Amino acid sequence: MASTTNSQMFHKTFVRESPVRQRVMGAFFLLLALAIWFFFARSVDGGAISSFGLSTFQAKTQLDPWELPTLNTLYVLAIVCAVFGGIQLSRGFKKYTNAVLAVVVAIFVFGFLVWATAGKSLNLVGLFNTTLSKAVPITLGALSGILCERSGVVNIAIEGMMLSGAMVSALVGSLTQNAWVGLLCAVLTGALLAWVHGVFSIKYKTNQIISGTVINIFATGLTSYISAKFMQVYPALNNPPTFGAIAIPLLADIPVIGEIFFVNNLFVFAMFIFIIILQIALFQTRWGLRVRAVGEHPKAADTLGIDVFKTRYTSVILGGMMAGFAGAYFTLGSAGRFDEVMTAGRGFIGLAAMIFGNWIPTGGFAAGLLFGFADGLASRMAILGITIPSQFLLMLPYIATMIVLAGVIGKGHVPAADGIPYEKE
Amino acid sequence: MFKKLYLVVAVLIIASMALSACQQAATPAPQEPAAPKIKVCQVTDTGGIDDKSFNATAWKGVEDAMKELGVEGKYLESQQQTDYEKNINAFIEDGCDLIVTVGFLLGDATKAAAEANPNQKFAIVDFAYDPTIPNVLGLTFATDQAAFLAGYAAAGATKTGKVGTFGGIQIPPVTVFMDGFALGVKYYNEKHGTNVEVLGWDVANQTGLFTGNFESTDDGRQLGQTLMDEGADIIMPVAGPVGLGTAAAVQERGNAWIIGVDTDWTISASQFTDVIFTSVLKRMDNAVFEAAKEVVEGTFKGGLYVGTLANDGVGIPEFLAGRISDDLKAELEQVKADIIAGKIKTTP
Repeated sequence: MASTTNSQMFHKTFVRESPVRQRVMGAFFLLLALAIWFFFARSVDGGAISSFGLSTFQAKTQLDPWELPTLNTLYVLAIVCAVFGGIQLSRGFKKYTNAVLAVVVAIFVFGFLVWATAGKSLNLVGLFNTTLSKAVPITLGALSGILCERSGVVNIAIEGMMLSGAMVSALVGSLTQNAWVGLLCAVLTGALLAWVHGVFSIKYKTNQIISGTVINIFATGLTSYISAKFMQVYPALNNPPTFGAIAIPLLADIPVIGEIFFVNNLFVFAMFIFIIILQIALFQTRWGLRVRAVGEHPKAADTLGIDVFKTRYTSVILGGMMAGFAGAYFTLGSAGRFDEVMTAGRGFIGLAAMIFGNWIPTGGFAAGLLFGFADGLASRMAILGITIPSQFLLMLPYIATMIVLAGVIGKGHVPAADGIPYEKE
Repeated sequence: MFKKLYLVVAVLIIASMALSACQQAATPAPQEPAAPKIKVCQVTDTGGIDDKSFNATAWKGVEDAMKELGVEGKYLESQQQTDYEKNINAFIEDGCDLIVTVGFLLGDATKAAAEANPNQKFAIVDFAYDPTIPNVLGLTFATDQAAFLAGYAAAGATKTGKVGTFGGIQIPPVTVFMDGFALGVKYYNEKHGTNVEVLGWDVANQTGLFTGNFESTDDGRQLGQTLMDEGADIIMPVAGPVGLGTAAAVQERGNAWIIGVDTDWTISASQFTDVIFTSVLKRMDNAVFEAAKEVVEGTFKGGLYVGTLANDGVGIPEFLAGRISDDLKAELEQVKADIIAGKIKTTP
């Protein structure tokens, strides 16, 4: 696999892990173990039971909830964390440190859930399903960013492209009463804006951040104007059909997994398909190699006969189509109507997910899931009545972003020519 | 080549500015010219005149006044918070008899303008000055009373024993709905010995479920699904258009109801009528109309107007068929009478 060069570079830095990092990580694991005991276990009733729902009321086969004795579970989780911490301190997990870090953090989060649910119930299937659908616009945004940036063009206009896609899909969908036509027009809108961005940043070599910002402002103004003057005044223009949930036969009947993964709308399934296609296309095809070459070292690519401009245009426009598709999610896949600035910054979070995911499609998806989970968790906590002010709960995804961007997972690999216009001599 | 580029960039920037400024112009409402009329002028909040929420409802009050009292109505939309002062001053220069400012956020700008122009009459929606200003009428609403009724009805109609609510941003005009709703459920429990739970708002601790914005309809959808997953079958979203996302989720899944806020959603969001349980009405149109009427009749006084169940400033519309039983309807009449008589407390 062509990406091995990448991941080898990536891992080498970890094999040569400094003793400081080893100790800090070990101490961190122990700290989490301590936190589970100190904050959670101490404040729980001995006899409390945490009950996790394993099916929503829509499921054909209703499963009994999964019931755990809160206190004992917390002790077990704390001990597991502590054991991991001890091993890390004494000999270290070397290149598996990151994997173990993920496991320990997951244990901590699970401990938190067990504690929060003490004496109450929480629907796990619902939580994971929300996580997945919250991840959709973020992941698609990340894929759009990956397409552009792998070819060396920074695209911060994803938000604006999404917003325009959302508006156009609602408008066209309402006019034609056909969701597919709306979806197609959203994709074309994204392509059009991306082409504008391409002309600015590839042909005229403007600062790509400025071009992106202009497109964002333009999209906000135009969509708000059309929305206020037409779509809100004539409700018939703002009532598109939506893509409802589809249950995949047989697979949907698998307990738990079926409800989480196989009963979803078009956009969720499309996201999985796009991730797989893009992952393969970028790292295993000639086209992908060319895109990456152009993004890393356009001059070398040019010398070898690759048309740098054409490659960049293609990638940017494909990225724009992806963003337009993501925009259609908000109207055709979610609310069934357009409202001003309804994308609410998801495009920018998509960019963060792209960086977080190290410019790799599957990584972007993992990041999208993390954001989705933090978001879903925040709302469940509010329902469970954890007395943390709502403002702090809403900060969760952003705190997660900052922790991650601050280098917990190590340095990312930015495409070398990212954001630099190519000057043909 | 660069000339061309500058041209394109310039056009784009001008276009985006022009577009965002387009809604700025004062739009005189269509009406037949006549002798000097009383002018009622509305300054909107940033949501715009067609926000299907408080700006639109207040404007409906002005329109009613135009129809029934023969006044002249005008409005200016504020695109951003810095427009408030500018728009108010534009109307003062225009010689408006009554300036209606809409929204909690216009409180400071209105106060400053009222103090600088003591002869100009103002009415402000959702703001109560303490102490009151002699030339400003604050139009406030005891929405908790109407939400209390909705909560009581929801508790009586739920099949799962759980009802849910969430808000946009945790500010008093939002949480007052949630307080009333939760207390209504509690009152039903006390009366009937039931144990209906409210998900999403804890009156005692004043904590609960919020989207953090009034824009993302997708958030509304997700929170709606979350609440349904946790078993709620009647949901009241207090978050403007975000609630329409919740309505979409409820409509898709079925087996649940939605409670509208501010306006009657069976009219303003009629595509969701089949899942709308009831709406908590905040009759800003009535309040603005009353203020205009006082100006026309020369009885305008500054101070405070409080919309309550008693004066029809807040309320819930007639239930559509299939929502609640006749027994519950009768009980609601009694509860309403008790609230008006002051026998039931609707705030924490």
